[in-house]
Amino acid sequence: MALRQYQLPAGRALFVNAGGSFFLASRAACMRLYNSALLDADHDFLHLHGHVLEPGDKLGHVARAYAEAQRAAVSRQLDYLILVPTLRCDLSCSYCQVSRVAATQPGYDWSEDTAEAVLHLLDTLATSQIKIEFQGGEPTLRPDLVRRVIERCARFDQREFVICTNLQRLDDDILALLDHPDVFISTSLDGSPDVHSRNRTGSAQATDRFFDNLATVVARYGPKKIAALPTIDPAAPPDIDALIDSYNRHGLESIFLRPINYQGFARKRHRDAREQGDDWRAYYERFVRRLIARNWQDRSRVLEEAYLSIALRRIFRPGTERHVDLRSPNPLGIDYIVVDHDGVVYPTDEARMLARAGVIDLAIGTVAAGWDSPARDLLNKHSSNSDDPACQTCAFQPFCGRDLVDDIARYGRIDLPRHETEFCRRHTHLFSFIFRLLYEEDEAVRYSLARWLRLPGTLAPAMDYLA
Amino acid sequence: MIPLSLRGLAEAKAPYVVRLRTAACGEPGPDDARSVGQDDEGVAFSGSNGLLAIDGASAAMLDGDVVLVDPRRQRVERLLRAGSQHNTLVVTERCDQLCVMCSQPPKKTHVDRFALLEKACLLAAPDLLIGISGGEPTLFKEELLGMVERVISARPDLSFHILSNGQHFTEQDIPRLAAPVYRRVSWGIPIYAATAGLHDAIVAKDGAFVALQNGLAVLIMAGARVELRTVLVKDNLNALPELARFVAARLQFVEAWSLMQLEHVGFAKGRWANLFADHREAFAPLAEAIDYATLHGVRAQLFNFPRCTVPAAYRRLARASISDWKRKFPDRCAPCREQVECGGFFAWHPDDHANQMVQPL
Repeated sequence: MALRQYQLPAGRALFVNAGGSFFLASRAACMRLYNSALLDADHDFLHLHGHVLEPGDKLGHVARAYAEAQRAAVSRQLDYLILVPTLRCDLSCSYCQVSRVAATQPGYDWSEDTAEAVLHLLDTLATSQIKIEFQGGEPTLRPDLVRRVIERCARFDQREFVICTNLQRLDDDILALLDHPDVFISTSLDGSPDVHSRNRTGSAQATDRFFDNLATVVARYGPKKIAALPTIDPAAPPDIDALIDSYNRHGLESIFLRPINYQGFARKRHRDAREQGDDWRAYYERFVRRLIARNWQDRSRVLEEAYLSIALRRIFRPGTERHVDLRSPNPLGIDYIVVDHDGVVYPTDEARMLARAGVIDLAIGTVAAGWDSPARDLLNKHSSNSDDPACQTCAFQPFCGRDLVDDIARYGRIDLPRHETEFCRRHTHLFSFIFRLLYEEDEAVRYSLARWLRLPGTLAPAMDYLA
Repeated sequence: MIPLSLRGLAEAKAPYVVRLRTAACGEPGPDDARSVGQDDEGVAFSGSNGLLAIDGASAAMLDGDVVLVDPRRQRVERLLRAGSQHNTLVVTERCDQLCVMCSQPPKKTHVDRFALLEKACLLAAPDLLIGISGGEPTLFKEELLGMVERVISARPDLSFHILSNGQHFTEQDIPRLAAPVYRRVSWGIPIYAATAGLHDAIVAKDGAFVALQNGLAVLIMAGARVELRTVLVKDNLNALPELARFVAARLQFVEAWSLMQLEHVGFAKGRWANLFADHREAFAPLAEAIDYATLHGVRAQLFNFPRCTVPAAYRRLARASISDWKRKFPDRCAPCREQVECGGFFAWHPDDHANQMVQPL
């Protein structure tokens, strides 16, 4: 029995194995485990859940290996591209993460050679399904490039395109792109018009334009086609209900509560964004609990905090989420890449931002010449949490991820003791919070959890509990 | 009910497999028999095996069917019916279990028809999924695997779903079952409980649960595609949540877990009162099992559950699972708006019970 432990309130403890199977033990059960004084019922429980295996139990051993392999499995096929057809943008947000350039500045769009190299890359991919995210700058400043990419993807069986846009303009060209059934819209919505103006647009006029255009696309396509994310200044977080209302008003049910990313201009203008303190974590919990309460009051829709849902599902179903910010191993430059406005290839969008901000150049190649480079191999030697001594003792390791670029962004190095990093603190808190919720008996909590987990019915209240 | 077996007279002496075609079908292939005459009694076909007269059928009804003709018994068995997605080949009627609810009780004798069935597979319509059942097909593992491998190699568009108790695989089979042709084969394997006592009692075979677990370990190692099947009986209803835990802990690799309501035929017919668990009154253990499995990424589905008998939240899991040729709807279903998506009842289900079960949606 190889179990890792995490202490929860009331003397109870969570036990997790390397495959991510877990149970909660009561204070009394903990004592029996520590003292090797297991009852027959304890033994039956541990056997049923695969925590204790008899030597001859071939299925149990194979299943355990399978579970661990599932946790470690990663896609080896490039099928996700983040494309930056232009770095130009017509807004200048206070925490802009990519050091954008003014909308009129020449020389920051894909050259014809770069465009052709991207299209050629698409022709060579072995995958039958493709996901492409158009980032910027503001990609709708170059609808022609976006259209060429989309048209070139016709040969794939499954296609998904996400256009990340500030929704400052919707002309016929752009609407024709958005009308495509495989195209989804991602935008930023920081809350009320006041907050949105302060953080993003800088003018009431531009804010009005954003809200008008948001209403237009929601009316035209329905809320399912649109994802919006707020960026929160942890020093002055918005009123929780006001923030939820501003999403709810447009039928948007999923809110990804992000504190300012310590990247790009934010490094200068929001220096305190390097670390999030207990205040932020308390705000985060209040926010999630408010979602739970509102879901219980109004069953007609399900509000969720997107990252919590991703982490929650990852606990039970490894491999079903394709969220590249929370996974381990987290291979870089293998199954997804970023192609910048100048054709340079980065392993992640954050790596692109670091390079642009002059912190460190994490470029791994170019779209024309390839990116099978020593730089990529070096990064990949350190892209798993399973070799980290601190992670190896952590109960949350099977569910958690590894983010080299985040460590480099914040600390300029990747070898800090894990628990001294913001990544570790954030996720230890997140998983601890989730496991506290999982074992709460409150009906409203169980209702929201079951919806976020996409269950047809309910989550059994004493699920996997050793009394 | 669509008849699967017809009376027929054949010129030939030995059993053979042939595809039946209407006169209008154009140039017949070497394994085709073309209709040459038809009256109120039936239809006559002619092919390389000589004349074949089939009673109670028309050329149009049989066009494209792949049939096995048994001249001595004067039977024509419709192995692969044209246009149907529900075709099952019975490779043996012998079995090493005697499940309390068995819908096709086994026989001691085995008639080896593998060569004929293999020929039928090769004549199958493009992209067909062919079911294989028994008896226990893996009692003749060598013949079975050989047939499957040869058919898929010759016809890579076809695929197989094989019902097996999963107890005859050994570690030596792993390399074989890991071969690429087996990507086109899925295994339907029954498990009735999470403990040896209950599982072995239901299948009436000591040691079955241990052998099953070892067989499943082989299938995981081979990367096989497996659908778990659990038939609901009174004895295992309340043990389903425990079984869900076993499945989540050990069998997360399966493609689906099918929870199946009892079929009113075979042994279950005579033992109905002792076996049938009315899920309308006791859905809670099913719900808990489904939710626990779903939570852990195991896709649960309900077979032989009429949609209206399932709580709304679980209704989308109720598949139209009953094959076309043996499906029926009792009178009370007439006004139902969800009949198209519903599996209805087995043709042999008593009408009074069926009528009493349903509540049209």
